[in-house]
Amino acid sequence: MDLAFTPEERAFRDDVRHFIAAKLPGDVRAKVQAGESLEKDDFARWHTVLYAHGWAAPNWPIPYGGPGWTAVQRHIFSEELAYGWAPRLPPFGLVMVAPIIMEFGNDAQRERYLPTILSGEEWWCQGYSEPGAGSDLAALDTRAERDGDHYIVNGTKTWITFAQYADWIFVLVRTNPQAKKQEGISFILVDMKTPGVTVRPIVTIDGGKEINEVIFENARVPIENRVGDEGAGWTYAKFLLEHERTGTAGVARCRQQLVQLKERLASDGISDDRFLDRMALVEIELDALAYTELRTLAAESAGKRPGPESSILKIKGTQIQQALTELALDAAGPYADQLAANAYFNYRKTSIYAGSNEIQKTIIAKRILKL
Amino acid sequence: MDFTLSAEQLMIKDSVTRFAAEPPKGDPWSTFAELGWLALGAPEDLGGFGGPLETMILMEAFGKGLVTAPYLAQVVLAGSILRLAARTDLLEALVDGNARFAVAYEEPHARHDPSRVATIAMRQGDGYALGGSKVRVLGASSASTLIVSARLDTHDGEIGLFAVPLDAPGVEIHGLASEDGHDVAAIQLDNVRISSNGLIALAGLAIVEHALDIATAALCAEAVGIMTVLHDVTLDYLKNRTQFGVAIGSFQALQHRMAEMFTELELARSMSFVAAMTVAGEADPRERARAISGAKVQIARSGRFVGQNAIQLHGAIGMTEEYKIGHYFKRMTTLERLLGDSDYHLGRYIASQRVPRRTPVNA
Repeated sequence: MDLAFTPEERAFRDDVRHFIAAKLPGDVRAKVQAGESLEKDDFARWHTVLYAHGWAAPNWPIPYGGPGWTAVQRHIFSEELAYGWAPRLPPFGLVMVAPIIMEFGNDAQRERYLPTILSGEEWWCQGYSEPGAGSDLAALDTRAERDGDHYIVNGTKTWITFAQYADWIFVLVRTNPQAKKQEGISFILVDMKTPGVTVRPIVTIDGGKEINEVIFENARVPIENRVGDEGAGWTYAKFLLEHERTGTAGVARCRQQLVQLKERLASDGISDDRFLDRMALVEIELDALAYTELRTLAAESAGKRPGPESSILKIKGTQIQQALTELALDAAGPYADQLAANAYFNYRKTSIYAGSNEIQKTIIAKRILKL
Repeated sequence: MDFTLSAEQLMIKDSVTRFAAEPPKGDPWSTFAELGWLALGAPEDLGGFGGPLETMILMEAFGKGLVTAPYLAQVVLAGSILRLAARTDLLEALVDGNARFAVAYEEPHARHDPSRVATIAMRQGDGYALGGSKVRVLGASSASTLIVSARLDTHDGEIGLFAVPLDAPGVEIHGLASEDGHDVAAIQLDNVRISSNGLIALAGLAIVEHALDIATAALCAEAVGIMTVLHDVTLDYLKNRTQFGVAIGSFQALQHRMAEMFTELELARSMSFVAAMTVAGEADPRERARAISGAKVQIARSGRFVGQNAIQLHGAIGMTEEYKIGHYFKRMTTLERLLGDSDYHLGRYIASQRVPRRTPVNA
């Protein structure tokens, strides 16, 4: 039993740290550090830098242009991004759709889509939730009906992050209304410029303009844009949800938030014991989460796939993230810091997205505890 | 990074699991000696082997089996003090099973803080005379010797550690009722004469603090063993108990509570690993305090949640003397407060992060 990283892993960490310090555009770092929201161009410039270095897609295998890192290297890289105040690239192309195309797509799809995802030339968004299908995702009723060599798509997708920037959207659609609800679903790729596709922004309580509604009205999508088999989309989506859940703990970002909080306490002269107690309780739980993540990582390094245990990381990670924004707002006080208030409002989303924390508890109960 | 057990550790786990499943009747000390467990953490030339990781394995199994033998007090805590103070003669007696030591460090109004010592050691001839009160002395009634912390009337009131035979004139022991079946006593010392050889260490506070950290890591492992049983037995109950014509584990309110108990158990387990690895390594006292006190706070919090909800999900049967869950809950309740409660450790965790006052270069 040993907690330490190997000398090679520590050397790798140094490399990553120096690279970020040298190459991350200063204005982007400043925005991340200040907690301001980023524009497309901010992400894009950083993506280009990472791509040029071969580091845009840490989770990709070498044949597709990834660095072929181990689970531990990916963990170190993601930590160093946080410690260096680098933005996390939007995951929709790189982390979400790409593994599905690799695993279930055909060669033509791999050649068409993967290179531009890797280079950042094309942006993606995720069309899953609907007004009537949130936690019960399989209840979705966006329909795709065959018409020759096209699907005609009709329906509304919602809560879509960065749809306003996206060139493509991957969509779960119902291709067979007669089948059992999980079995009638297919996974298709839709060009956002397709006639009949409309993006409507949704403003969130923090004033943010991240999420959107995407409406499909008789949008014609070539059949060849379907990934894998018709009716197998639900299986692919579940595969993706597990990918999405790893790395949601956000331990390193929480550590950075704590550093900033402590700086604020020092500069504002806050030494109230009640506040320090509450902050310490959150920090201790963050330590416990960090080591739980390392245990998962060690298991992954030993050849286990990320499984339902990652639900623990999602639940606790998001609770801690939220608790930290709450402490930061408490430290600032009302009418004092709009960014702190907005961060608190914005972070309410974390226990809702990527499978709400209640859904995660059900996953633990059913799949680990077999209840 | 590696969380797996070595072949030797797996062997220890195997034998202690068998022991804890069916502990022998009466005092297990000779069994402990035979199995080599009294030598855990001792130097090799005394026949010692292993360290905090092996202790963790042992203590987790003791937790699962609700073993009440005073191993934590007499081997982990006392043994660590003797090792850190380099008292090989006494440690050898401990390892052989010829002597058993209980540690009297805590005082009535000290609120768990080992530096708040009012017991006095007065220089007298070439020895000392000790006077004062100690509380929560674990394993005292089966010990032969006490290790007592006392403030010296010389050396600027430094805290010294003394070996005090339990049968020395002036030593009074008052056994206390304990809710978890463990042996605990209060000790009164009235002008107890000790020879100079009875002085274990002059700068005793650092040694006690270090040994308490090692013992707290062991306590965390015991707590994880207890929580594991509380969790597993409750989960089993949810699958087998039927009401309204179905297993109660099919109700979402109970499923989510159980998922939360699972999550707390895993966080606690992580912290127990960290605590053991920290005291096994070379952490400086501040790092050590941060890791150990953080672990103790987390484990107390998780243990309370798991314990209280184990009772709740069982319903009335969980309240009964004859059912096992209550006994685990009671031991967990003690462990939550033992060797420093959460208020004490939260304060220590916060203090460990404060920037130390600069010491003048020539001091």
